[in-house]
Amino acid sequence: MSARLLLRLHRIGLIAMAYFSIFYVLVNSAAFPIIAGKTRAAQEAFGHSVTVLGATFAWLLPLPVRPDTAAGYLQWRGYGFFAIVFAVWGLFSACGAVRRDEDRGLVESWLSSGVSRLRLLATRSIFFAALSAEIVTLAGVAGWLGCLIAGTPADVAGLVGESAALWALTLACFGIGLVVAQLVGDFRAAASAGGVVLLLMFLLDSIGRSSVHRAPFTDISVFFLFNQSNAVAPGGSFDLVATVLLFAVCAVATVAAAAAFVRRDIGSGLIRQRPRGATEVHEASTNPLLRIPVIRGLWIRRIGAVGWTVGMAVAAAAVVLLVNATATFFATTPSLSSYLRGLAGNVHTVLLALIWLSFAQALVAILSITTVSRWSGDDSSGVLEMQLAEPLPRWRVLAERATELTVTVTVASFVAMAVILALAPAEAIAVDIGNLLIATALLIPFALTFAAVGAVLAGWRPRVAVVVLSTIAAISYLVFELGPLFKWPSWADNLSVFQLYGTPLITPVFVGGLIAMLAIVIVGFGSAGVVLARRDVAA
Amino acid sequence: MSSAIVMHGLTKDYGSGHGLFNLDLEVAESEVFGFLGPNGAGKTTTIRLLMGVIHASAGSATIFGLDCDRESVAVKRDVGYLPGELPQFGGMRGSEVVTYLGGMRGGIDTARVKELSARLELDLGRRFREYSRGNKQKLGLVLAFMHRPRLLILDEPTGGLDPLNQQTFHHLVGEVKASGTTVFLSSHVLSEVEETCSRVGIIRDGRLVSDMTMDKVHELRFHEVVIEFGGDVPEAAVRAATGVEDVAVDGLRLTCTVHGGFDPLLAAISAHTVVDMVSREPSLETLFLSYYKQ
Repeated sequence: MSARLLLRLHRIGLIAMAYFSIFYVLVNSAAFPIIAGKTRAAQEAFGHSVTVLGATFAWLLPLPVRPDTAAGYLQWRGYGFFAIVFAVWGLFSACGAVRRDEDRGLVESWLSSGVSRLRLLATRSIFFAALSAEIVTLAGVAGWLGCLIAGTPADVAGLVGESAALWALTLACFGIGLVVAQLVGDFRAAASAGGVVLLLMFLLDSIGRSSVHRAPFTDISVFFLFNQSNAVAPGGSFDLVATVLLFAVCAVATVAAAAAFVRRDIGSGLIRQRPRGATEVHEASTNPLLRIPVIRGLWIRRIGAVGWTVGMAVAAAAVVLLVNATATFFATTPSLSSYLRGLAGNVHTVLLALIWLSFAQALVAILSITTVSRWSGDDSSGVLEMQLAEPLPRWRVLAERATELTVTVTVASFVAMAVILALAPAEAIAVDIGNLLIATALLIPFALTFAAVGAVLAGWRPRVAVVVLSTIAAISYLVFELGPLFKWPSWADNLSVFQLYGTPLITPVFVGGLIAMLAIVIVGFGSAGVVLARRDVAA
Repeated sequence: MSSAIVMHGLTKDYGSGHGLFNLDLEVAESEVFGFLGPNGAGKTTTIRLLMGVIHASAGSATIFGLDCDRESVAVKRDVGYLPGELPQFGGMRGSEVVTYLGGMRGGIDTARVKELSARLELDLGRRFREYSRGNKQKLGLVLAFMHRPRLLILDEPTGGLDPLNQQTFHHLVGEVKASGTTVFLSSHVLSEVEETCSRVGIIRDGRLVSDMTMDKVHELRFHEVVIEFGGDVPEAAVRAATGVEDVAVDGLRLTCTVHGGFDPLLAAISAHTVVDMVSREPSLETLFLSYYKQ
């Protein structure tokens, strides 16, 4: 197994995590004086507000420590949230390394080349450990740099300690993923079962953190062990024992996974499914949905589509439920209240617009990128060749792809909108239904803008499509988030695709942006059609 | 008889001498044509050009008078296609793959699907990822044959099939040929095309080196024979036998090549005790080398 091949197998996680962690850490540290204010008094007032807000968010993030400093704020917003993201990454990477590669026949091929099962598992684990160490280090360096830009350098030893704890958590979750993936027979089942295990551990820690009385067994949660360290914050500490325990979880889980891997058959899990009945089926499926254009694609990918819809609905509900607490925080923070006063409308509505719509934009952009990744995969895997072996013009394949994405984005966005409309009155948030409808509808051209660029890239260079599109999205989001904070010129702001969407819930529709998005969609898909028609498939 | 497939100067140049060069070939309607060549010779490239998934650098190809590139959609209405390797359909059941791809064509002949899957002993109720290589190949055959196309383009159709299912495949080809279907199949195994084809084209390094009837192929082919004798080795008699060449003796073992029938060789050794006798078909590459040596 070459390092190049392993790097390729982990490329999507690597790219996504590198972009996300560097950007997220930089924003939450470098922009601190802009968010909290430049004077010591303003920063102390900000810290007080964050402490109050932190108590409301205790179920999600650990309580803040010295949030009146850039490093303390980074610890709370940055590393507190990283625990969730890196844990999920570790789990999914392990499930993919075991199950996806087995589905592709790679594991069988490696084993038949003389590599032992133990060596294979060890190689994958060591490679992931090296990869995650790099990402964690990059995040640490970005944090140090961000605090330096903010004018309050972070303690290097603290950053190293916190990075070590984060690395240990990621590896522990990777180990858990390795074990779960040995038990079941496919990636979907492994990811679901592993997700449930992580969720239970998170809830256990969450209950322990937000309850007056300490709930039993919280200590067994990997999140609890990680949250024992808060070394980036001034006055915080690094818990060596808890970090070593996380490494121990990883070691024990990896050994257990290795034992299971040696025992089980390739292609199936340790827990075997009941075999199907002996009756053979010789009929084609009678499912009419498989015959209808667009619907057939949606049906095949129904679990993913439902997942996105539920995910966006849950995110929308969480945002609505947190608006009141966030409004109080903004109102008591001088730098932020002045920012809010600059925007017209009710403070709750403004916050809903700012938080939900930027969140929804990020989600649909990710949905578009993952869809483009599948389009590229369809080419290299031969699916596109099989589709084109049927009497379908190439433009129709492209049109079906675009329509399928449009339907998924529409359903997910409007279900999320319905959740907002259902929950907002109970939280005393006034929402203009017409504006919310427009804002939700505008997410469709926004998502298609990324898809159109992705369609051109997938047709031109399928292998680099995801990397290039992710880079465009990451830079766009960076410009969108940092531009207003650092008061960049408007021409720079308008380079961001996110900027084209505008803030339709609180300001009139950005017509120029909408026209630009529609132009990109038309030109993009038009060009993609030409590229697809001219190029060789599966060559 | 009119032509089902016509290729004129068909070229796909990938650079560095790789690809397909200046291919001129015609396949008549109702003909079963075998496209033979070693791995990497250009068989799949030719098939992909016919299917319109890749574009020619030069030349042209038509199927039933329609241009394979410009009118590829119309072409595919009449074509059943088996690729060299089916893509991963993951958790979809075989029955769902059939309906999904059949739906793209506009309809499914359910009776035909049932007949084909039963004859090939393919359980369509299982998920694609659970299929063995042979079962995936059977599914590919069902997909290619299920809409009763006028032309079948099959890329190494018996790969992964056991001998019984290979026989079923040969019967299926015989049946569709009888009903007027044209078949264009690629292979690198001579015995496979012998079973089914009436004519073969041989391709090597991207160039068509021979286009011949099966009678000519029978003349061309030979066997490598190893005979273990119990006593005396009749070397002189074997050397004198018609069609026997490259005779070599090592102790009680005699090796030779036999062109045409076995009767002269069998007559030469009939008076001697034979302990063991093995006859092997040479690889296509060996066959070509022998052919060009001549």
